[in-house]
Amino acid sequence: MKNFKFKRSLTLIAVSSLLSITVVSIPTAAQAAPACTTANYVTTCLGATTDSAPYMLITPANFNGTVYLYSHGYRPNIPVPAGIPGYGGYTVTNTPEPAPGGNPQVIGALLAKGYAVMGSGFARQGWNVNSAANTNVELIGIYKKQYPKTTKVIAWGNSLGGFQSQYLAEKYPELISSAGVLCTVSNAPVVSDKAADALWLIKTFFDPTIKAGNYSAGTAGYAEAMGDLVKVFTVIGHFQAAIAADPIAPAWPATSKVPDALKAIPSRSALILSALLVGVPLQSAHFDGTSAPAGLPAANALSFQLAINPALAALENIANAAALATFQIYDLELQTGGTWYDNTKTDWAARVADERFIWASALSGESATNALLGYLAAVPKAEGNPVARAKVAGLGTHTGITKVPTVLYTGVADPLGTASEQQSIIDKYDAYLAQQWPANKNAAVRKRPVNNQLALWGIPAAKYTKFTAAGSPDTTVAAAPGTNHCNFTVAQYVAVAELLAYAANNGKNMSGGPLLTKLRKAGNMTYDRDYAAPRNKN
Amino acid sequence: MIRETRRRGAWLAATVLAAGSLIATALPAYAETGVSSSEIKLGITLPLTGAASPGYNKIGNAMNAYFKYVNENGGVYGRKITLIQKNDEYSPQLSIAKTNELILKDKVFALVGPLGTANFTAVHKSVGLAKRGVPSLFLNTGFSGFAKKANYPASFMILPSYAMEAKIIAQFLKENHAGKKLGIVYQNDEFGIDGMGAFKAAGTKFDVTVPYTSGSQSAATAQTWVSQLAAGGAQVVVFFGVTSATAPLLAVAAGAKYAPQWILGSVGSDPLTLRALGVPVAVLNGAQTPAGNPSPNDTSDEYVKQFQEINTKYNTGTAFDDYVLQGMNIGLMTVQALRAAGPNPTRKGLTSAIETKGSTFASVAYSPLGYSKTSNVGHTGYYMAVMDANGDRKPFGGTVKLYTTDSGSGPVVLSTFKRPAMPAKGLPSNS
Repeated sequence: MKNFKFKRSLTLIAVSSLLSITVVSIPTAAQAAPACTTANYVTTCLGATTDSAPYMLITPANFNGTVYLYSHGYRPNIPVPAGIPGYGGYTVTNTPEPAPGGNPQVIGALLAKGYAVMGSGFARQGWNVNSAANTNVELIGIYKKQYPKTTKVIAWGNSLGGFQSQYLAEKYPELISSAGVLCTVSNAPVVSDKAADALWLIKTFFDPTIKAGNYSAGTAGYAEAMGDLVKVFTVIGHFQAAIAADPIAPAWPATSKVPDALKAIPSRSALILSALLVGVPLQSAHFDGTSAPAGLPAANALSFQLAINPALAALENIANAAALATFQIYDLELQTGGTWYDNTKTDWAARVADERFIWASALSGESATNALLGYLAAVPKAEGNPVARAKVAGLGTHTGITKVPTVLYTGVADPLGTASEQQSIIDKYDAYLAQQWPANKNAAVRKRPVNNQLALWGIPAAKYTKFTAAGSPDTTVAAAPGTNHCNFTVAQYVAVAELLAYAANNGKNMSGGPLLTKLRKAGNMTYDRDYAAPRNKN
Repeated sequence: MIRETRRRGAWLAATVLAAGSLIATALPAYAETGVSSSEIKLGITLPLTGAASPGYNKIGNAMNAYFKYVNENGGVYGRKITLIQKNDEYSPQLSIAKTNELILKDKVFALVGPLGTANFTAVHKSVGLAKRGVPSLFLNTGFSGFAKKANYPASFMILPSYAMEAKIIAQFLKENHAGKKLGIVYQNDEFGIDGMGAFKAAGTKFDVTVPYTSGSQSAATAQTWVSQLAAGGAQVVVFFGVTSATAPLLAVAAGAKYAPQWILGSVGSDPLTLRALGVPVAVLNGAQTPAGNPSPNDTSDEYVKQFQEINTKYNTGTAFDDYVLQGMNIGLMTVQALRAAGPNPTRKGLTSAIETKGSTFASVAYSPLGYSKTSNVGHTGYYMAVMDANGDRKPFGGTVKLYTTDSGSGPVVLSTFKRPAMPAKGLPSNS
């Protein structure tokens, strides 16, 4: 009973100490030892690695020897002027993040069990796989030096941080005991092309003045990138208004230069096609791709279900992908020294071989689909510099081969298509296992390789779109589980953390009844070995 | 004392063992999802509500009625069949979610009669039916793509393909409507494309072509179809779409006093449903249509007679039409497939049983079934029929002239195939 009280009070202390951390100044230069303060049984250390990445270590008095190393997700490496929707006013920051979003409840839950947490803000933002890996490796050493009692390090991270965690599991298995790969992106060329495809399609269909790469040097290039961001959101804003005004045949943006014949096709179908070509899901935070408002005549309701709701989902999702694309294209052009995006060999029609049938209504039928694809085939392509493109591949790729247990988790309707990214890691690991058994036999090892990859999925409910009394979609409600990027609850984060602790302690992932019970309690975490997300399109 | 306890323990263990062996012998062994000692669980997704539901929403209940009849007569090797129906509202997105429920939550043994081409394409792709090894029996769609065994290894069609249907209509047009201006209204997706490809291959040239997008059908859109057909002077109009589109087309045409010779595709031509959707029976009079089954009013047919009796008792209050007939027939085919899979059915065994024995199954349709180790093609032919003043369907020319063909370049041939007899009392006894 005493113990329980102690733990509970520790949780509360951890929360309050975290809140106070935000006002503590964070060293920006490398230093020999971190500066630590202890309050209420929790020691918080701040410092910077040799590459000047600020970090934070939070360790409870009853430290059990296991520390969670968190890698944060993508942060743009350029500031965004105020006034731009969604990102306006953003300034580049490398504030350390020792847990997802610095969430005090997640941190509190872990500290209460005697675990420590740590994380850095990395030395550079944007696409930073190689730099971040160096920071993480150094940070593990710093922590162990500070706390020699450390026995296990668990790596986990969101989005690009998921990539980092998988990367650590592949490259540095001797440093970590398990890895949590959440809403991850996969290889640099895949995720970058995906985002750039989205931007190129918006440019091609809706506003050809969007530059979508080949940005100028210096401040002029920065201005061009920000200009693209504004134009993307202008297109998105147009669609919001146009679909509200006429959901069946929303007007094309005035900036669109597609032929008039193409404009006879509802513009929403071009939007849907763009989403399908990129691999962006047609379920989004507020649109389930299937619901219609109550009270519509039956024929209109069917049309809303099959065509309008998916278009709204595409709109909500593709805004995320296109915005990311602007940052990513600009960043990678700086890193590779050239125009890396190239779609000269892209077979757009092949990418929707099945989906064009499934979404025939939303695409306004076969003839419309053929016309839209025909236009994409006819317009000039984006041609990249081969040297720059080759450099993108060197900015980080996964092999899928991990020697420590890993836990993967993502929402299947993540707007950045991370389900297919997670699937690509699963596929690579499966291929590795498939090769491993014959290799074992050849080496006279009579042991089947153990599958130490636990893949979890957040699957949205069948229906979740809410409508106001007037019949308009209500986008003020919280994003549905399984949608949005890295849209996880505290309970889900804690469940993943506990699964990782189990894996670290046992050298294998949890399975059977205990696993299913844990997942059920956390909610919307599905374990299904036979589930396969759609594959990446590129 | 210790000895006494040990003896009692041994006695207890022996009793438990004996009881265990009794249980083991009394109940059939089962180790397959959806199959217990007393039950086989099956699932179907279909539109039970919404604009696309008229007619389709009867299929599940008709299947269920047949299964109830079989259950009351001993079931399948002693097991009762439970059919779980899920309403997908004709939305592919919802079909995925509902099929996931059927497989993961309800844990059905197999899918039977899933409806809709886009819907099943979505389900097969997203749910991973092939990877899971879940058999999909007797699909309610005629898309010829589903006959590709390599892509759909455990899925079985029942309807002749849309391509087969188009080829047979093309032959009929040549023989009976040569020289007339032809028009076609078709669903502009794989359903219509399947048919259009076959019309083209058969050399049929339409003077007026009106594609429509699935889900857009309404009186307003039908107005534009009729305007185009009338302006083009189409004297014979083929309709290749769903019933919820046939109804506004015929109603609007009647209102506009546009009366071509209608040739209604099999999917959208059920007279009872069309009349329920407001199409006057006079408009249907003389409409021609390909048909695979006898008329649901033909009580001289042993299948129809038996199914009507079952419908009266187990599907009370439901008018007996083409959809009910189709649902009952899928039930009949399913029971034969389950029997052919043996007393301890597995998913693999069920698939194998249809491949090896399915072509001999009794079915209400007149044409042969194409199942084999290399084919999951269902029925392979149609006869042409004409609707009368009562909205009933009669063979064109007075007798059934069955044409069979394939989905490819094979010829359309007049068939002499004799379908198997209805099992005694409608209860299969095959193995």
